[in-house]
Amino acid sequence: MTRYSGIHGLGIVDTGNATTVARVDGIIIDPVTATVVAIEARAGRSHSAVHWPDIAGFGDAVTVASPGAIRPADGRAAELRGARHDLLRKRVLTDAGDEIGRVVDIDFDPRTGTVTGLVTDNGTVDGARLMGCGSYAVVVRGR
Amino acid sequence: MSDLVRATDLLGRPVVTLGGEDVALVKDIVFASPGGRILGFTLAGRGAFAGPLSQALPWKLVHGAGRDAIMIDDGALPTRDALADRSEVHDGEVLGDVVLTDTGTALGTVTDVIVELGTEPRVVGYEIRTSEALPPAGRVGLIPLPDTMAASGEAVVVPAAITKHMADDLAAFGATVASFRARQGSTR
Repeated sequence: MTRYSGIHGLGIVDTGNATTVARVDGIIIDPVTATVVAIEARAGRSHSAVHWPDIAGFGDAVTVASPGAIRPADGRAAELRGARHDLLRKRVLTDAGDEIGRVVDIDFDPRTGTVTGLVTDNGTVDGARLMGCGSYAVVVRGR
Repeated sequence: MSDLVRATDLLGRPVVTLGGEDVALVKDIVFASPGGRILGFTLAGRGAFAGPLSQALPWKLVHGAGRDAIMIDDGALPTRDALADRSEVHDGEVLGDVVLTDTGTALGTVTDVIVELGTEPRVVGYEIRTSEALPPAGRVGLIPLPDTMAASGEAVVVPAAITKHMADDLAAFGATVASFRARQGSTR
């Protein structure tokens, strides 16, 4: 299990030439499937993404197999990029309409990309409860 | 334990889709009739300059009504006409009414409506500010709503025995409503 705060700012290393090509600057999550679709990458002023299938591994660095892995977000990652769909720091509402905390961190399975937990200031919520994320709140199933 | 709330507590609550977008605020509650079910909500827009919205929220589209938000599925809301010609709580239909017993004693005035949330939300009682008939006058009491009662827009008439079923707060009121209903059922 990997916690987002543990990879934020880590180097993204191209294993082909062993150089750090960017740094982790964000995480793009599809709330409907509760999976990580991409890691946001920053190199200087340039913002791009590493899509999940292009990630080789998480460790002391995030590794990618080719420099082409760092490219503009496309597909679902492009749709979900940006503040509106960013889970971090957002209030968590249950589908019953009760606020249960604010997202401070995100746990995910580094092998599958499945979001396993939403760490809130009020305890951890099972990632399987994730239903949606919009500009106002992250919505989770059940009480 | 059922979910009892004051109707006025629902006003101003955000209406949020399951996709996490806040689309409106609750402006008013629309009742079927005095003492009736909640038909739905009229809505106001979000933000400092947002006025009333032309859309409304029928209860059947409510996914969940909680302490912090009214949750709805994603999708379009119908226009207000869907809820038209009904009494709104803010029209003074109930709030401010005198609560009169069937023996002619004014118990106080209605200050709020107590709503039981759930899949079939309904009015279960009134919050009243008491008259001298319920000393000390001016305190807040919660009385259960009888199954049948007369309401005119100036007064609501309740059985005199209702004073035995008054609660001081919402926490105690759930049990009060349950025992009052059981009693009403047994006398019929």
